[in-house]
Amino acid sequence: MSLSGPAPVPPRSTPQGGSVTPDDKVPAAADPVLARFGRAGATAGAVASAGAEQLRQMTPAMFTRTPLRWLKGWWTVAQFGAQMLVLMLSPSSYRRSQHQALYYQLHAASMPLLPGFTAMSAVLSLVIIRIVVATAQSYGLSQYALDVLVRTLVLELLPLLVALYVALRFTMPAGEAVAELRERGQLQALWQAGGDPARDVLLPRVLGGVFAVVLLAALSAVMALVMTYVTLYGFTSWGLAAYTRDVGQVFNPAATVILCMKAFFFSLVVAILPLAPDPRHDGAALQRRDEINQLGRLFALILLIEVLSLVGNYY
Amino acid sequence: MSQPSETPPPIPHLELKARLLLLVMVVLVAGAIAYLMYARGAFERTQEVVLIADDSEGISVGMNMTFSGFAIGRVGRIELSSEGNARIIVNVPQKDAHWLRESSVFTIESGLVGGTKIRAFTGVLTDPPLPDGAERKVLRGDAAAEIPRMIASVRELVNNLGALTGSDAPLNRSLANLQLTAEKLNGPRGAIGVLLGNDADARRLSQTLERSNALLARLDTLVLKADGIAARTDGIIAHADEQVFGSNGLMPETRATVVQLNGLLAETRNSLKKVDAVLVEAQAIGANTREATTDLGALRAEVEASLRKVEHLVNEVNRKWPFARDAQIKLP
Repeated sequence: MSLSGPAPVPPRSTPQGGSVTPDDKVPAAADPVLARFGRAGATAGAVASAGAEQLRQMTPAMFTRTPLRWLKGWWTVAQFGAQMLVLMLSPSSYRRSQHQALYYQLHAASMPLLPGFTAMSAVLSLVIIRIVVATAQSYGLSQYALDVLVRTLVLELLPLLVALYVALRFTMPAGEAVAELRERGQLQALWQAGGDPARDVLLPRVLGGVFAVVLLAALSAVMALVMTYVTLYGFTSWGLAAYTRDVGQVFNPAATVILCMKAFFFSLVVAILPLAPDPRHDGAALQRRDEINQLGRLFALILLIEVLSLVGNYY
Repeated sequence: MSQPSETPPPIPHLELKARLLLLVMVVLVAGAIAYLMYARGAFERTQEVVLIADDSEGISVGMNMTFSGFAIGRVGRIELSSEGNARIIVNVPQKDAHWLRESSVFTIESGLVGGTKIRAFTGVLTDPPLPDGAERKVLRGDAAAEIPRMIASVRELVNNLGALTGSDAPLNRSLANLQLTAEKLNGPRGAIGVLLGNDADARRLSQTLERSNALLARLDTLVLKADGIAARTDGIIAHADEQVFGSNGLMPETRATVVQLNGLLAETRNSLKKVDAVLVEAQAIGANTREATTDLGALRAEVEASLRKVEHLVNEVNRKWPFARDAQIKLP
């Protein structure tokens, strides 16, 4: 439960992120009720469900602390993300001794998702393709159907779908598991035993999430392109040149760069945010996470990236 | 160290599967990049066609240039030339460049719906091919630009139509008159009544027609009579011919008369010659007579002189004669 560790501050990365040091003292940590109350104060739903006793104990000071804690929480997330990025780019993270954990997380992040996601994205793509093609034909604008499809499906919808899918199916459960590890003090134990929890436990999961997002995004995009071609031209090859040319027109350099950056940031957000230490615990009270809240934060970030990419593409 | 949650159940061939997944991702991403580069024309050898347009509105980098509906080139760059025109540089793959010839025409068309289109037209495919970097003026067909002009024309047309179809418009009155005329046409007098306007004239015309018919009938009889006269005239002419040119006709007799006249003339000529001789003689007689006359003058003078002397003598006798008769004239 407690994060207070040995007195000397270790030079290595911490399991929870840069802002959390073993010397942190948390006054509310002693009372789990108060800690829970503090967390509940952040959300209206939690307040509504709180009992009368808790409501009576709520003080205005808790509300004034909230924006500061909010900022501090995001600062924690940013530090954790930077730490993961540094670890991702360090060659030492890919030593032979790390391979097994990396392989395991790559496999766990993508393999169980593959059949379900493939089926789901295929069905969704097919429905959208049929709707767009039929609508375009009914208005006599079928020459623009391909452009619309590539833009909506490949550039916008599918990356968003992949990010949410991977977050829900892999990184959020992984984050839950990591929180449990933190709660049980196993990361601390690993740390004390001379291991590096960030490199050994967290990084493989982050890499697995990034890998899953990129793999599934590429797979669904290729599938959508193939299905679009088949829907428009059937199982023939005569339209390939015209199709390729039209696809090439949509993927101008700006759109391609924006798509790549969007996929990259989606994968980072999806892989890092659920694994980051929960900022609402002041870095101390590692309680079971509020999953809806976590999903909301994740969704807000993804939406922000999506809006920025739309602004880049169409303004 | 103890890591209960970090000891996952062993997965068979984990490394192989993970490597396979990595390989799939690398292949997918690399394939997508290669396909997009191919689709953007990164592997094509191209040549340039520079289109000069008044303005580059609606033109964007990457848009297609079509030939017969097939895309054969894409816009690579748009510049502003020193003359203020838009220079649209179109990259045409060399495998498609043979569709463009020296005589090719390029147009920019803006439809009401959809984007601007660049089109190439080649009428004569046997012309020499368009060289790399050739500059061509582009024709602009803007449907949207035509709309205000068309609306102005249509408004004018509608005004004219309104004026034409108004209640007091000439066309309306003409139509009313036409209806009256049609009624008259269907009336008892028919087209004649329409042409003449009133019934009296129409009646007069009918009478005139009847009279004309009568006149024509009389003319017919007259012509028949003239025919009879002509036949008789023919007989007379034949008779006269006989009389004039027949064997006992006027002409042979005239010819004999002329022969006789010729003989008479010869005789007359002989007689005249004799007369000539008589005249010569008469001339000689005349000369003689003239000489004799000259002598007669002298004789006459002498006679006159003698007479005067006789007279004078008589006078002298009378004076000297006592019985001279009283020669005096007594006046009352």
